[in-house]
Amino acid sequence: MIGNDIVDLKYIKETSNWKRPRFLDKVFTTKEQHLILSSENQHQMVWLLWSMKEAAYKCHVQQYGRRFFNPKRLVCELISEDKGQVNIDAIQYYTATIVTKDYVYTIAKQTDDQPVETSIIETKAPKLATQSVLLKRYALESIAEVKHLDLDMLEIRKTKIGAPEVYYASQKTPIDLTLTHCGRFSSFAF
Amino acid sequence: MTKDELIAKLKTIVQPYIQDEAAFDNLSEDTDFINDLKINSANLVDVILDVEDEFDIRIENDDMEKMISVKAAMGIVNEKLAEK
Repeated sequence: MIGNDIVDLKYIKETSNWKRPRFLDKVFTTKEQHLILSSENQHQMVWLLWSMKEAAYKCHVQQYGRRFFNPKRLVCELISEDKGQVNIDAIQYYTATIVTKDYVYTIAKQTDDQPVETSIIETKAPKLATQSVLLKRYALESIAEVKHLDLDMLEIRKTKIGAPEVYYASQKTPIDLTLTHCGRFSSFAF
Repeated sequence: MTKDELIAKLKTIVQPYIQDEAAFDNLSEDTDFINDLKINSANLVDVILDVEDEFDIRIENDDMEKMISVKAAMGIVNEKLAEK
């Protein structure tokens, strides 16, 4: 399983306010809140930990098929600046995060050495629906190239819980695909 | 509060965060906050905090965990209001 999450740092500043009362407490453990408040770049740390939780959640929900909304249950450990672990109950996911001045992007996996193909796309398309169509097309083009498959026979279907699945000639494939978008950025990983 | 009144209040709360107008126009008990209304998950925290403020209740994380649809949110709000 693989999960990804991107946060557009400018967009999120305009659309979400983590400084509002009780926000941090709903989302982060005491230890995580300490990490945020003692950080030099608090805004970046909030969304770095958030993207770790979201990416790990996507792995978990694909694996167990049960959706829930409780980011605090996903507990982050930062191992280095870009590597981390997210624990939920007794289950562990490994994360790798890229931080730039524009975005924070995390990929979570069940095993640390699982190979991943990923790409980040900056789009000017303002509509979420258009962004989503473009992202899926880029993802399929990349899958076709990497796996040597015929692009015209590839398609993405969504499961009941909204997770993407890759089909080839109308047959479900074992390819794990994960998609994310936020503001100007979207990304796929498989 | 009647069911319709509660749905109307929740509809007002979620409006600033929705990214799918058609799903919002057709909002019902069965509407999913993320899959239908396309509310991003950071804004789902805002929805929960707004619900707490609007109804003057506190939602613990164990309850919040279920709040992914209008129906689930209605259940939690009613439960919390009954406890008051």
